[in-house]
Amino acid sequence: MDTLHIIVITILKTAIYFGILMLHVAYATYAERKVIGHIQLRLGPMVVGPHGLLQPIADVVKLIFKEDVIPIKVDRTIFKVAPLISLTAALSTFAVIPVNKNWVIADINVGLLYVIGIAGIGTYGIIFAGWSSNSKYAFLGGLRSAAQMISYEVALGLSLVGVILMAESFNLTEIVNKQSEYWYGMFLFPQIIGYFVFVVAMLAETNRLPFDLPEAETELVAGYFVEYSGIRFSLFYLAEYLAMFCMSALATICFWGGWTIPPILIKNLPFLEFVPGVVWFLLKVYFHIFLFFWLRGTLPRYRYDQLMAIGWKILIPLALVNIMITSIFKYYS
Amino acid sequence: MRVRDIIDKIFLIEIFKGLLLTLKMLFSKSVTIQYPFERRKIHDGFRGKHALVRDPFTGDGKCIGCMRCTTVCPSRCIYIKREKTENRMVVTDYVIDASRCIFCAYCVEACPVCALVLTEDFEYSSYTRKSLIFDKEQLLKNWDEFVSKWPHDFYFNKFWQPPGIDPSRWPKTKREQKPIPIKRVIEIEKEKDE
Repeated sequence: MDTLHIIVITILKTAIYFGILMLHVAYATYAERKVIGHIQLRLGPMVVGPHGLLQPIADVVKLIFKEDVIPIKVDRTIFKVAPLISLTAALSTFAVIPVNKNWVIADINVGLLYVIGIAGIGTYGIIFAGWSSNSKYAFLGGLRSAAQMISYEVALGLSLVGVILMAESFNLTEIVNKQSEYWYGMFLFPQIIGYFVFVVAMLAETNRLPFDLPEAETELVAGYFVEYSGIRFSLFYLAEYLAMFCMSALATICFWGGWTIPPILIKNLPFLEFVPGVVWFLLKVYFHIFLFFWLRGTLPRYRYDQLMAIGWKILIPLALVNIMITSIFKYYS
Repeated sequence: MRVRDIIDKIFLIEIFKGLLLTLKMLFSKSVTIQYPFERRKIHDGFRGKHALVRDPFTGDGKCIGCMRCTTVCPSRCIYIKREKTENRMVVTDYVIDASRCIFCAYCVEACPVCALVLTEDFEYSSYTRKSLIFDKEQLLKNWDEFVSKWPHDFYFNKFWQPPGIDPSRWPKTKREQKPIPIKRVIEIEKEKDE
């Protein structure tokens, strides 16, 4: 009876999480179009609803009713499974991400490792999509994505080692709690190098500009999902945006103190204590999402060899230096 | 200088400058005109949909079939069918293939009786090519359509008169060209006053 109780509660929690996440993803596409539009002195979507607010819903309806074309010579099974793998991988990461005190589906001890590991599985979907499409552009896009993901996964993992050293735990809730023990309340300041490496690696990991080499319209038309259409294409899109939210949440938890705010702020402005933690968490996540769009609107796409050079020659050594410095400080204090 | 470069590179100064610029653009006013809801003012000399001017007295086109427009047309998209009846030239059909037209308005400049006009109507895209081949009836209809939306009683465009040529060498009607009256009533009232 007790087990059943827990299962039912977990399913309910998952459903609520899922609903809120989907809404966030839908409106992230809207926000992206608006932000990029205003950066380029355009307006973005304006027609559907007031200020185009219903645009994401119209997009979903369009994508569902669009003809789903499957080319003749593709490997049909893998072609159909690939987007689902990407999407499942992106969705499962949210199981361990806490949004407030004790607001988490699964509070496991290796949360950070789990997130990084599952985020890497999304690559399978991309490689499968590239290979099964039976098109050289899709295949090249998939290969590029695989190479990029693997090289940046290393930098991403290493940049988080500093955080793990300071928090002495892999548990995401624990990491946040540890941060609120310091008066500045964030690992951002002692781990600024780690944060820089994390942000760059996170852009590459989610295949966002300026590192969206798997998509590179000018050379690969659209990379790994050229042959996809309709709802299957939108699943890849969904996976990409979910990965963005996942990485933003990770950055928030590991470097920005999650749902807490610096204790020094609470001491000086006591009324801030009554604001629910989830508000701070969401604000920090939105800031990172905005950072994604902002960087997309600013930077041009890197060349492929430059991308690899930045990953291996700059980010990984920087992350290693960061680990060394953190360890030395940790040892002597 | 070199130290400065190195510092710039380490702290990504140029990228931050770019980010600052895009942030500034984010909060500045956008230049978009939301087309179907708001329109731009059309400038003088805009060359849009073709039309034959309907003479308010006869209700027919003014064209006399002199073939000047056909001769001057660089893309050869004007076809005129004319007949000689009772020592008079009668234009039976006047066809413009708008899909071939380059909108140079030479035909408007060459016309001695000001029968042809490139109106300011630019929304006439269609799914078939056939509907872009305007015959005489369609051209007169184009004029009616344009006129019904025109807010003033007269229509005149200073670019009809070929610039750069001494006005004394223009045809007489071109030299004395007045704004085209749109409603017959006005024209008649004017006649009465004289």
